[in-house]
Amino acid sequence: MSLAVIYVFMILAILAAIFAIECRRLMFSVIGLIAMNLFVWIMLLTLNALLLAWIQLIVYGGGFTALFVVVVALTEKQRDETFDWKRSIIALAIIAVIMAFSIWAVVSSEGLYTPSGTSTIADSLTLLWSERTMDLILQAVVFFATSIAIGTLFISHKKKKLKEEVEA
Amino acid sequence: MFDQLHLLILGIILFCVGLYALLGKRNVIKILMGIEIMTIAVNVVFIALGANITNGTFTRFAQIFPLLSIAIGAAVLAVGLAIVINNYRHAKSVDSDEMATLKR
Repeated sequence: MSLAVIYVFMILAILAAIFAIECRRLMFSVIGLIAMNLFVWIMLLTLNALLLAWIQLIVYGGGFTALFVVVVALTEKQRDETFDWKRSIIALAIIAVIMAFSIWAVVSSEGLYTPSGTSTIADSLTLLWSERTMDLILQAVVFFATSIAIGTLFISHKKKKLKEEVEA
Repeated sequence: MFDQLHLLILGIILFCVGLYALLGKRNVIKILMGIEIMTIAVNVVFIALGANITNGTFTRFAQIFPLLSIAIGAAVLAVGLAIVINNYRHAKSVDSDEMATLKR
């Protein structure tokens, strides 16, 4: 892939992230999030981080985008009417300082190289099974907790109240 | 192939966009989107630092630590969204300032 195309995708990823945060309509924000995930996916593919690229696309680009859509639909607030100029300006000032310091620190650091690719999917999975078993167990626990949390989204309080009333 | 510096700057900018949502927005759904963007930015930085075949140990773990980060980020988002839904049922609002009603 041409270098210019990769830089275009980088800029598009940043623009999509800004669009997702700044768009007033929450559904369009979710679309911006999907676009950003797709551009980051392309970034990761160009770095040969295939395992991470696909998992990120499935978990963030797929699963959580669907969850965001469900939440936006359930909350029935399709527009973000809570814009606050004062808060935004203070936040921008703080972030300008943090960004300037971070970029200065990265630019002035030595030993930066040209990325040439990460380990393959098979290598990563072998390493995960052989040396990072505890990580796998922790991830299983985290996913179990996540599934319970997602389950609470769909508990209907009205049905509970009705049951209690019937029992009473 | 492009420079590692540009990837790190991409990570910093994405992180700052997420941080802006966290500091500057009152809508809880937007705040959660900001947290997701920050997690993705950290993953990009992880890969940018580890994407080097000649760099021994860290390269082998380059794709594994972001996997942990994705799992934990997924849990954070799921719990956050569950809190948003429950708060909306309770207070009919997704405003972070009005989440204080959860105390009552």
